[in-house]
Amino acid sequence: MAHGMQNKAKGVLTIAGLLFLVLVSGMLQTVAASPKVICTVDTDRAVLPAGESQNVVLKVTLDAPPVPAGTRRPKVNLALVLDQSGSMNGTKMAQAKAAAVEALTRLSRQDVFSVVVYDTNVHTIVPAQSAGYVDRIIRIIENIQAGGNTALFGGVSQGAAEIRKHLENDFIHRIVLLSDGLANVGPRMPEDLGRLGAALLKENISVTTVGVGTDYNEDLMARLAQNSDGNTYFVESGVDLPRIFAAELGDVLNVVATQVNVTITLPDDVTLVEIIGREGRIMGQRIELFMNQLYGGQEKYALVEVRLPAAGEGDQLKIAQAEVHYQDPFNNQPEVSRGTSHVSFSHDPVQVKQSANRDVVREYQLNLKALAQEKAIDLSDEGRQPEAVMTLKDSADKLKQVGRLYGDSELLKEAEAVEAQADQIEEKGMSKKSRKVLRTQSYQQKNQQVSQ
Amino acid sequence: MAAGMTHKRSILFFWALILVPALVMSGAAYRLLSHEQDRISRSAQEALMERAAAISETIHMTVDTVKDNLVRSLMAIDPGTLTPTLQDWEKTNPLVRNVFIFEPTETLLYPEKGMAATPEQQQFIARFDALFSGRMTFDHLGGPGGPEPPRGMAAGSTAANASQGDARRQLVTLSRADRSPAARVGAQAHMEMEKAADSPEQGFSSGWLPWFSENRLHVLVWVQSSATSRVYGLEVELVTLLSRLVVDFPALEDAGSAIVLTDGSGSVIHQSGQIEVSPESRPLSQKAVSSLLPHWNMEIFVDEDRPGGTRGFFYLSMILVGIFMAAILSGGILLTRMTLKNMKDARQKTSFVSSVSHELKTPLTSIRMSAELLLSGRVSDEKKKARYLSVMVSESERLTRLINNVLDFGKLEQGRKRYRLESVVVDRFLTQLIEAHRVRITAQGLRIVTQIESEDFTIRTDRDALEQVVLNLMDNVLKYAGTGEYIEFVLARKAQTVVLTICDDGPGIPKDLQEKVFDKFFRTDSSLTATQPGSGLGLSISRRILRDLGGDLHLEPGKKTGCCFTARIIDHDTDNDSGG
Repeated sequence: MAHGMQNKAKGVLTIAGLLFLVLVSGMLQTVAASPKVICTVDTDRAVLPAGESQNVVLKVTLDAPPVPAGTRRPKVNLALVLDQSGSMNGTKMAQAKAAAVEALTRLSRQDVFSVVVYDTNVHTIVPAQSAGYVDRIIRIIENIQAGGNTALFGGVSQGAAEIRKHLENDFIHRIVLLSDGLANVGPRMPEDLGRLGAALLKENISVTTVGVGTDYNEDLMARLAQNSDGNTYFVESGVDLPRIFAAELGDVLNVVATQVNVTITLPDDVTLVEIIGREGRIMGQRIELFMNQLYGGQEKYALVEVRLPAAGEGDQLKIAQAEVHYQDPFNNQPEVSRGTSHVSFSHDPVQVKQSANRDVVREYQLNLKALAQEKAIDLSDEGRQPEAVMTLKDSADKLKQVGRLYGDSELLKEAEAVEAQADQIEEKGMSKKSRKVLRTQSYQQKNQQVSQ
Repeated sequence: MAAGMTHKRSILFFWALILVPALVMSGAAYRLLSHEQDRISRSAQEALMERAAAISETIHMTVDTVKDNLVRSLMAIDPGTLTPTLQDWEKTNPLVRNVFIFEPTETLLYPEKGMAATPEQQQFIARFDALFSGRMTFDHLGGPGGPEPPRGMAAGSTAANASQGDARRQLVTLSRADRSPAARVGAQAHMEMEKAADSPEQGFSSGWLPWFSENRLHVLVWVQSSATSRVYGLEVELVTLLSRLVVDFPALEDAGSAIVLTDGSGSVIHQSGQIEVSPESRPLSQKAVSSLLPHWNMEIFVDEDRPGGTRGFFYLSMILVGIFMAAILSGGILLTRMTLKNMKDARQKTSFVSSVSHELKTPLTSIRMSAELLLSGRVSDEKKKARYLSVMVSESERLTRLINNVLDFGKLEQGRKRYRLESVVVDRFLTQLIEAHRVRITAQGLRIVTQIESEDFTIRTDRDALEQVVLNLMDNVLKYAGTGEYIEFVLARKAQTVVLTICDDGPGIPKDLQEKVFDKFFRTDSSLTATQPGSGLGLSISRRILRDLGGDLHLEPGKKTGCCFTARIIDHDTDNDSGG
């Protein structure tokens, strides 16, 4: 860790921060061996061209440690909200039941489990209770019958009410919503459900959304998941449901940090251009981001583009400091982790090029691709399909170009996938399925969702 | 004919007796049941309306309490920490969508316009631009929903607290500034009472401002300190409010009705009850939920035609009445049929008695005349004497056959006829029978044709019964086909069955009457039968006898004219099931 020669106040702050870190980590080593979330701040290039004002991409990475062996995992408070409208009848319903049972059997006695079903009305068929009552709950799940409309809003509300029965306790709160159709009872605009998601996030409840088939509203499902920091999935047939539920439970049972607040502070002479792929609050030179949960062994990040003032050859500049506050679910103690980023300046283009951080570049490009996918959806919705195809093709070209420049095979593979999507849309138009694939992929990329 | 008319009249009268009361009764049942159904439906609807009104009331009281709590909480904020406190609310309170601080003389202090605002905040500023640009004042709305001092509400809101479900209680808790668990557990009602007593709101004006933007409802809660004239407050997150309210919506058990909460554009916000409510369906009743949530309505839908719906009672009762009516009518039909049949039987029996009497009288007259002639001693010619005697013998035989038929008929009707099975050589039996009656046949001018296959016709059957059958068939030909040229007897054997066919070339029997000739007392209605005496029993008895013996008797048209009777006679030699 290099120290820049900046103004004294900041230096003191940094030293104080470091001291705190040492203190805290020392305490942790003596109290518990639970490893911490590591926060790092990287730039796309460590060395920048001197003498000009320029934009730099910052990547604030949260590296969640794997769950330490032999630790008791945090208790989980899970509500399944299942669509039992008429369209679910048949295989989808059977697989949804199997998936619900799959989820239940992965929980243990200490966890809380509830099931809400909705058609035109909403029914809590399994009120929040210990997940240990496996036989009783399975019997109830097996009796679910499909029929009626889709009161999605009411279903999620009821699921949240079941979660709230144990809100005071130290649980990982999660609603898993499954739907295969358009919400037609209650609020149904993606924006409304997005707001519901945001409100639930304030109570530390995340909603994971699983869309089945090609008739559900992917915008609504993605917004709800995005605003509540849950995962989102698209499965074409019911057959994949048990696998998806298993993957989701894998995430939920693997939480190593909750209520994750990321604060990025920029020095006065650095200005924010935009936050890429995430929604954050901007308070002057401070950017605040919130994530509900981090899963063990997973890397989450935020990308921020900033504008730097011109600097001379050899100068070193601290361009951002990130601070992560979170709750350690193993011992319910607040934790903090910090990271800082420095860059230096040079007139030598070779040095600049060599200093490129491929990881940052790749993630930046992948997020740009996600944004391009969203733009393509918007354009296609407006009936401007050729432009939508162009947007995707441009994005593919850009991925290819950057991929070749850095010899990054992942980017090249991604470029091919995007190109294939573009070709398909050009040929057959934006099908319901393509739209769902684009929407889901884009969100999964922006949210760094691991299980897909 | 006159008798027929009276019969018809009495049947009509009979039907009138059944139909009129039945119709009157079902009409009365229909009226009574519809009345009763209306009463049931009305009371169900009233119960539903009361329920909807109770839900509306609870929602109104909850929202009212939320409003009061928010206003009080806003007033209680220390002016020195106004911005961070509001920002914290915005960040952590699900009930708060946006917060604002506005200086009427200057501009919007928070959120700042421009770059620093999040997209949500930018939309917020745009949405309430009329307020923040000063084109409209915060207290422009009078009356309900406008500025209204929250005094005197404390009692009401505590009462509301007591009746609230979990979700609504949590909602009220959310609307308080201090949401730490300690404050929540301890001093709920206490806090409200105290605040009302403290009256920090003196020197403040406040309001709950419903605001329509893009046809959607938004609600702003604001307070203004008279000391600084600064207006601050928050935008209520209606999605949270709604999400909490719908959870406590009671479930409707009745499948045929629904209570529906709708917003200003008429779209369904929440529904309880299974009816599918489309934008076209018209509610039974519609009532505003709360003055605080303008244009939100509580609507009631009832599906009258649904089987399990409110008209179930009526349909069920009508089905029962229908079954009752059907029973009465079918009983009537059955009685009519039986009466008609009895009347027909009575008529046939009368004609039977008169024709039997006539038939008995004819041979008796002949016998008596011959006997008287012989007795008078005036007949000296031996040949003549012999003829008179032979007439007496043949007429007695005819009399015997007739009486046998009448006796047998009685036995057959009561199922008391017994058969004696013995070995019969049918061809010889038939030849003897023809020979015995040759004179009678030829006297009618008929030629006898026989066609008997050279086979063994020895079978076990009742000889007397068989003789009676053949004689009846023969008599039938003599009576009705006397105008023809021949009578033909055909005998053949098929396995266990001997088939005897007796054909003539007389006038024949019309096709539609061919089965009826086997009915008892039936005589075809023609000039021919009118001239011939007959009981109408012969063919009926013959068929009964053959059927009792396992065979059958059929009538087929003759080769050109006339008809053929085919008798199938079963050999009971191997068949142990002897008839009778």
